[in-house]
Amino acid sequence: MSDATENAPIAPAPTGDDDVIAKPGVLGSIKRFPFSIYPTLMLGLFFFIPFAIMIVISFAHRTTSTYEAGFEFTHYARFFSPLFTTHVWVSVQFAALASLLALVVAVPFTFFISRFRRKPQVVSLVFVLCVLTLSEVIVAYSLSVVLGRQSGLPALVQALELVDRAKSWYPSYWANLFGLSYFNVPFAVLILYPACTRLDRELTEAAQTLGASPVRTFFTIVLPLLEKTLLAAFILLFVFTMGAFVTPIWLGRPEDTMMAQLIADQALGRGNIPFAAALAVFFMLVTLALSLLTVWLRRSDKTGVAS
Amino acid sequence: MIKVAKIAFLTTIFSMFTAPLLIVAGVSLNAKKRMFFPPEGISMRWYPEIFEEAKWSAALGNSVTIAVCAGVLAVSIALPIAYFLWRHRVLYAKALFVAGLVPFALPPVITALGMLIFWSQAGYVGRVENIVLAHGVFLVTLPLVMISLGLESIDEELLEAARTMGADGKKLFTSVILPMVLPYMIAGYAFVLVLSMNEYIISFFLGQHVTITLPVQVLSSLRSGYTPVIAAVAVMFVLFAVVIFSLIARFGDLPKLLGAWSPKE
Repeated sequence: MSDATENAPIAPAPTGDDDVIAKPGVLGSIKRFPFSIYPTLMLGLFFFIPFAIMIVISFAHRTTSTYEAGFEFTHYARFFSPLFTTHVWVSVQFAALASLLALVVAVPFTFFISRFRRKPQVVSLVFVLCVLTLSEVIVAYSLSVVLGRQSGLPALVQALELVDRAKSWYPSYWANLFGLSYFNVPFAVLILYPACTRLDRELTEAAQTLGASPVRTFFTIVLPLLEKTLLAAFILLFVFTMGAFVTPIWLGRPEDTMMAQLIADQALGRGNIPFAAALAVFFMLVTLALSLLTVWLRRSDKTGVAS
Repeated sequence: MIKVAKIAFLTTIFSMFTAPLLIVAGVSLNAKKRMFFPPEGISMRWYPEIFEEAKWSAALGNSVTIAVCAGVLAVSIALPIAYFLWRHRVLYAKALFVAGLVPFALPPVITALGMLIFWSQAGYVGRVENIVLAHGVFLVTLPLVMISLGLESIDEELLEAARTMGADGKKLFTSVILPMVLPYMIAGYAFVLVLSMNEYIISFFLGQHVTITLPVQVLSSLRSGYTPVIAAVAVMFVLFAVVIFSLIARFGDLPKLLGAWSPKE
């Protein structure tokens, strides 16, 4: 190995500088570091091969009980059926609204905690992580307890004698939207956190010295600086929400069925694996395209928050 | 005025995220098999049931086994990739790194279906090890990013010094690099542990009603009617996350792990 590669600055993030990367062939690379065979095999065998199989099966022929080898576009043709278009449209609306609502809450919240002193900042981060990693099942369940008749807000409304007989507030459109947004907030905070810590304090301080109010500073200095980060965050949240499964099942109505439910229903409920695979392939392509867009956004953001 | 608004906003957000969990904790204390809040009669009897009732203890056992093994697997895949890219900046290492980022970027339902088809083709379904492998690969992104951060923070001069004193590649790795990235490996492991414990959809697809994990059991119990045991399980999940992340925060640099920028002198 040459000294140039040995002493190269380390920046393994996807935004790293491509020009310092050497380009020997695959075998040459593995020769430099034989242990790389293990991660190659694991990711290849248990991630990329299953995906390849899934793509092949999305073209397979469906028989009554299972499927057989074939090459047909029947399953992709079903994308034009109302079953598909309605639920994709429902998912897109929910995902867009829930991501937007989550950002509205998360942007000021993250901005504030990024300016906390270290100790309260760490405590807030622990808090956010705990809520973030909590299973969708647990969050949906907790919210259903809050929105339920026996224990939650409806019971409170009844106790205050605002209504005679309280009804449960879920399943409903709003319960689903609330659940999805709620579930998105901690994720949004973690996406925004690095950018918020990079915001130059001197800029906001300068604006305030010149007489701008904190609110005005926030809207004229902070938000424009975060513009691309916000767009990237919106896309990531959008993708994340599109994959929501338990929340729409538990808090939404049947007509609020989203993408992930549709795939699960086709694969497990109806045993139509090829159609489920076609849906997943479509979903995957959209996700990858959107993810590449966020990488590009972050890359072109070097002049903004980072400097 | 602004300060008051800020405090009011922060308090609202914090309480909005705490309140549902507190209500659930209240529900878990009901003396009778009811879901009242405030609870009617205080009792802790639902907590031991998680360990005593067969379906809950089996689910707990599965979840713990899967999480512990998936953590080991994820770190074992992440470490060589991160080290490879850090030590030898070659295109192939970069490709592996990106390959390690992909699973987490995709919605889990896609991974779940891909794995389901894979194991059905292999004629090997509903096994614990299927979920371990799926979680290990799906969550590899977290230790990968964290270990890379750890490697980045190693001072080049330190490595130079060790080399001057005659350390060869192997010695350098075991006595300098490994101890320095160990905290990051542990943090990555802990993140996988918590996320695997909480993961629903992959476990649901791959478990095939044979291997049932805790979140899967919670949803299926919810469908057959609420009981305070579910609330007790939810409380346990929260406590588990609180303990793990507090430990990471106590012994590690949490802001740095989450990508905070630290000014360099």
